[in-house]
Amino acid sequence: MNSIFDSRILNVVIFFPLVVAALVALLPKDEKGQIRAVTLTGMVLSFFTTVWQWMRFEVNSPVEFQLEYRMEWLSDVGISYHVGVDGLSAALVLLTGVLGPMVVLSSWTFVQERTKEFHIALLVLQTATFGAFCSIDTLLFFMFFEAVLIPMYLLIGVWGSEERQKAAVKFFLYTMVGSVLMLLALFAVYFLAAPSGARSFDYSTIYNGLMGASRELAGYLKSNPTGDGVGLSPVALALFRYGPYLFLAFALAFAIKVPMFPLHTWLPDAHVQAPVAGSMVLAGVMLKLGTYGFWRFAVPFFPVAARQFQTMFAVLAVIGIVYGALMCLAQRDIKKLIAYSSVSHLGYCMLGIFAFTAEGATGSAYQMLNHGVSTGALFLLFGMLYERRHARLMSDYGGIAKVMPVYAAFFLIVTFSSIAVPGTNGFVGEFLVLLGTFKSNLPLAFGIIAATCVVLGAAYMLWMVQKVFFGQVTHQENLGLKDVSGRELVAALPFIVLIVVMGLRPQPILDVLNTSTERFVARAKYASGEGPDNDQKVRVNVRQLRKQVVADATPTPSMDPAQQRQVQLPDGFRPRPRLMPVQPELQPAHP
Amino acid sequence: MIIPNFTINDFLPVMPTGVLMGAAIVLMLSEVFLTSATRTYQAIIAALASVVAATIAFHNAFEPAHEVLQGYAVLDPFSSWTTVMVCIGTFLAVFLSSGFLKHRNAERGEFYALLLFAAAGMSLLALSAEFITLFINLEVMSIATYALTAFLRRGPRPSEAGFKYFILGAFAAALLLYGAALLYGATGATKLVDVSRALPGAFATSPGLVYAGIGLVLAGFAFKVAAVPFHMWTPDVYEGAPTPVTALMSAGVKAAAFVAMVRTFLFLSKGVEADLLFHTFSVLALLTMVGGNLMALPQRNVKRMLAYSSIAHAGYMLLGVAALFAPKLADATAKVGVLTATPMMGSPVDVSVGVYKGLLFYILGYTVTSLGAFGTIAALERREDETRGNTWDLERFAGLAQRKPGWAIAMAAFMLSLGGVPPTVGFLGKLFLFSAAVDAGLLGLAVVGILSSVAGVYFYLRVVVYMFMRPAPADAPATFRHWTTEFALITSAIAVVLLGIIPGPITEWFSRVGMVFGN
Repeated sequence: MNSIFDSRILNVVIFFPLVVAALVALLPKDEKGQIRAVTLTGMVLSFFTTVWQWMRFEVNSPVEFQLEYRMEWLSDVGISYHVGVDGLSAALVLLTGVLGPMVVLSSWTFVQERTKEFHIALLVLQTATFGAFCSIDTLLFFMFFEAVLIPMYLLIGVWGSEERQKAAVKFFLYTMVGSVLMLLALFAVYFLAAPSGARSFDYSTIYNGLMGASRELAGYLKSNPTGDGVGLSPVALALFRYGPYLFLAFALAFAIKVPMFPLHTWLPDAHVQAPVAGSMVLAGVMLKLGTYGFWRFAVPFFPVAARQFQTMFAVLAVIGIVYGALMCLAQRDIKKLIAYSSVSHLGYCMLGIFAFTAEGATGSAYQMLNHGVSTGALFLLFGMLYERRHARLMSDYGGIAKVMPVYAAFFLIVTFSSIAVPGTNGFVGEFLVLLGTFKSNLPLAFGIIAATCVVLGAAYMLWMVQKVFFGQVTHQENLGLKDVSGRELVAALPFIVLIVVMGLRPQPILDVLNTSTERFVARAKYASGEGPDNDQKVRVNVRQLRKQVVADATPTPSMDPAQQRQVQLPDGFRPRPRLMPVQPELQPAHP
Repeated sequence: MIIPNFTINDFLPVMPTGVLMGAAIVLMLSEVFLTSATRTYQAIIAALASVVAATIAFHNAFEPAHEVLQGYAVLDPFSSWTTVMVCIGTFLAVFLSSGFLKHRNAERGEFYALLLFAAAGMSLLALSAEFITLFINLEVMSIATYALTAFLRRGPRPSEAGFKYFILGAFAAALLLYGAALLYGATGATKLVDVSRALPGAFATSPGLVYAGIGLVLAGFAFKVAAVPFHMWTPDVYEGAPTPVTALMSAGVKAAAFVAMVRTFLFLSKGVEADLLFHTFSVLALLTMVGGNLMALPQRNVKRMLAYSSIAHAGYMLLGVAALFAPKLADATAKVGVLTATPMMGSPVDVSVGVYKGLLFYILGYTVTSLGAFGTIAALERREDETRGNTWDLERFAGLAQRKPGWAIAMAAFMLSLGGVPPTVGFLGKLFLFSAAVDAGLLGLAVVGILSSVAGVYFYLRVVVYMFMRPAPADAPATFRHWTTEFALITSAIAVVLLGIIPGPITEWFSRVGMVFGN
C-alpha cells in the first residue's frame, strides 16, 4: 500500500476525464468523428484507471479508506483535499467507470448538435461523480456533489426532448434545495464535532467527534426515554435537541437524489426528457449518490436519530417500492416505465440500508450496482429503439422480436436482470435485501410487502416486453427496422456479461462490499449501545495532516477529559515553522 | 506655539491617501486644458493611483501597530488592509464607470476625481483615532459620495437619491459629532486613547452623559454601515445612484465605516459595563441579518435586491463585531438563547484574532463580489430604460446565458459567492465570521445568521435561474460592450473564485498578532 502510485491512483481516476475534456475542448467544432473517438478513448482509459483502483483495493486490509491521498488546502478552516475509497465507493467508482464508454457509444449517432459540448459535459460529469464517491472531506464531497448538477442539468436541458427545459429546471431546483439544507447541517456538525482550533470538515474529525456523544445519548435515552436531556455533556445535549433536525436535513438532500417516495416527482420528468446518455448516467450513477450519502454521512453521523426515524424511512422505502411498481403497471410510455421502476428498485436499496443488518446493507450495496447495470442497460437498449422510431409509447411498437431478433434477445436478458430472475445479478441483491429486512427489528410486514412487489415487478416488465416484442407487427414503419449494428452490439454486450457474471459469481464483489458493510452496521449499532464498548472498531482512522500551528488555537484553560481527547494531536504531529514567524515587535506599542 | 517635529515616518501612513488626493487634483486640473472629449486617460490615471496607493498600504500592513501624527491617527495592519481593499474597490469601480459613463455620454472629469476623493476619505477614516479627525474624514468621504450619487442629473431618481442621502447622511454625521461632543464633555479628551483612559472615572460621576454620548456615536456609525433600523436610506440611494458608485458605496464606504466603528468602540468598551456593547451589537446584528434578508426576499428589482442584500451582509459583519465584545466569563451552563453568550465547550476562547481575520476577509470577499455583481447590472443597463423603471427587473436577466455566456457565468459566480456557496470567497468569509461567533459563544445568533443566509440563497439563486433557465425574450436588446467594463468583470470573477479556492497567504496575513492598535 505504500507505493507512490497507490496514493495517487484516485487523483488519476478523478481528474483524468477532466484532462480529456480539456483535450476535447481544443478540437475543432465540426470534427464530430474525432471528438467522439477522443472521448471514447478517454472513457475507456478512464475505465482502466477505475479497474486499477479496484485491483489495488485490498479486501483483507484493516485500513478503511484505502488508496488514500491527502493534501493541505484551506487549512485555517480545516478543509483538506482528502480522497480515498472503502469497499462501497470502490465498487461505485468501478460502476461509473464501466458506464462511461457505453454512454459515449449510446449517443454515437444520436447527438448531432453541439457534439463537442455534449462530450465535454459527459467527461466533466465523470470527474464530478468520481470525486463525490472518493471524497473523505465532507466539504469536498459537497462541492463534487453540487458539481454533478451542472453537466447533468445541461445534458437534460440542451440535448433532451420537447419539454427538456421544464424537466431540467425541476431537476435542478429539487436537488439544490436539498443540498442547501445539507450544507446547513454540515455547518452544524462542523461546529459540534470539535472545539475551536481542532475543527475540520474531514469525515474522520466529524465522525469521531460525534461518536462518543451519540453513544452517551443512546445510553441516556435507553435509561430514561422521556428525559429532557439534563446531565448530558454539551455535544450530546446538542445532539439530543437538534440531532433529529440535522439528520433530516442530510436525509432530505439525499432522499431527493435517491429519490425516495414523496420526493421522486422530478425523476420521471427528467428521465423522459433526457437524452439516452443522460438517462443512463442519471439512473446508473447519479441516483447512487443519494443512497451513498445515506450510507456514508447521514446514518453514521446521527445513528441515534437514524434509529428514531428508522420506521419512517422503512415505510417510505416500502411505499416507494409499491408505488413505483403500481405506477409502472399504469404506464404506456416505456421511458417513464423504466423511470418508475427505478423508484421501485431504489426503494429496495433504502430498505436494505434502514434494516441496519449486515445482509440488508450488503444487499443494498449490491442492489445499487445492479440497478446501475440493469437500468443503464434498459435505457441504452430503449435508446436504440427510440433512435430508429422516435416514439416512446408501447402502442407504437409490437412484434419487434420478428424484425429485430438479436435486439429482442438482449432486451429480454436485461429484463430478467431487472425482475431479479435467479442466475442474474438482480436476484442476488433483492434476495439479500429481503433477507436482511426479515432478520432486522422491523416488523415482518415490511419484508412481506417488499417480497410481494417482486412479483409486481415481474408483471410490469414482462407485460411491457410482451406488448413491444411479441404478437403481430402492428405498424408498417416497424417492418423496416434494422437489427443492432456492430457499434450497438459493442455497447450492449458488456452489460449482458456483467449481468451474468454478477449473477453467478457475486462473491468477489460481495467480499469488497462486506468490508464497508461491517463498518456501516457496526457504526449504526455502536451508538445504540449494542456491541462491544470499544470504539476502536468504529473509529475512522485516516492519514493526518501535519498540523499547522494557528495563532488563535490557544487551548482553553479548563478542559474536561472529553475535550482533551478531541484536542489531542495526531501521532505524526510535528510543529512546522510558520510561514511568517510572529515577531515580538508586532505587539502593540501602546498599553 | 510648538511646531511638532514630524518625520517622514509620520507621513508614511497617510501616503496612500496622499497619492489618491494628488491624482484627484491632477485630474481636476487636467480638465482645464482638455480639448477633446475622450477621457479614458482619466480612468487609467485614477486606476494607476489606486494601484500605487494599494502598494504603499500593502507595504504599511507589515509595520507594527503604533500611533502616528501625535496620536491623531494610528498605523496598524487593520487600517492598512482596509486601505488596500478600498483601493481594490476603487480600481474596479473606475473601470466599471468608464464604460458605463461612455454609454451615457456622461464621462466628465469630476467623476474620477470625486471617486478618488471618496477613496481618500475612506482610507483616512480607517486610521483616524481622534473624534474630530474621524468626523472630518467621514465628511470627506461622505460629501464626495453625495455628489457621486447625484452625478447622473437626468431624471428625478438621481436627485431624489442624492438629496435623501445628503439629508440623512448629514443628520447621522451630526449625531456622531454630538455624541463626540458629549463624550468630550464627560472626559475632556477627543483622542480615543485619552477618552478610554478617562472614561471609567467619567462613567462613575456622570453615567448619563457617557451613555448618551456612546449611544449617539453608535447611531451615527450604524447609519453609515446601514444597520437595521438605521437602514431606511439604503435601498433608495443604492437604486438611484449610478451603478458603479453603488458598488463602491456598498463595499468601500461600508468597509471604512465598519473599521472606524470597531476602532472607536474598542476604546469606548473599556470604560463602560462590558455587557452593554455586546447586547447592543447583538441586537443590531440580529435585526440587520434577519431584516436585510427578509426585505430582499420579495424584490424583483435586482439592484434593489442587492441593496437589501448588502444590509444583510453588514449584519454578518456585525455578528463578528458582537463576538468581539462577547463577555469573557460567560456561563457555560446557561440556556442557549438568541441574544446570550453560551460557550459550547467550557469557557470561551479569545476570538479577537479570529474576528479581525474574519472581518477583513469578509470585507475583501464582499468588495470583489459586490463590485462584480453591481458591475454586471451596470453592463446590462441601457439609458433608454431609465425613465421606464424596469431597468433592473429580473426579466432583464432571462436567457442571459444564451446571449452573453461569459457575463452569465461571472454573475453566477458573484451570486453564489454572495449566497456563501463553496468554493467561492463568500463561503470562506462567512465561515470565518461564523466560526468566530461560535467560539465566542454566540450560538443562537450564529444559528440565526446561518439560517438567514440560507434564506438569502433563494433570491441569489433566482437570478441564476433566470439567467440560465429562462428563454431570452425575443426583443432582448443588444448589450453595450466596453473593454473597461469587461476587464473589471473578469478581474472580479477571477478573484471571487480564486480567493475561494486558494486564499494563499492572505488569511495568514489577516490573522497576525497586533492587528489592531491598543487591543
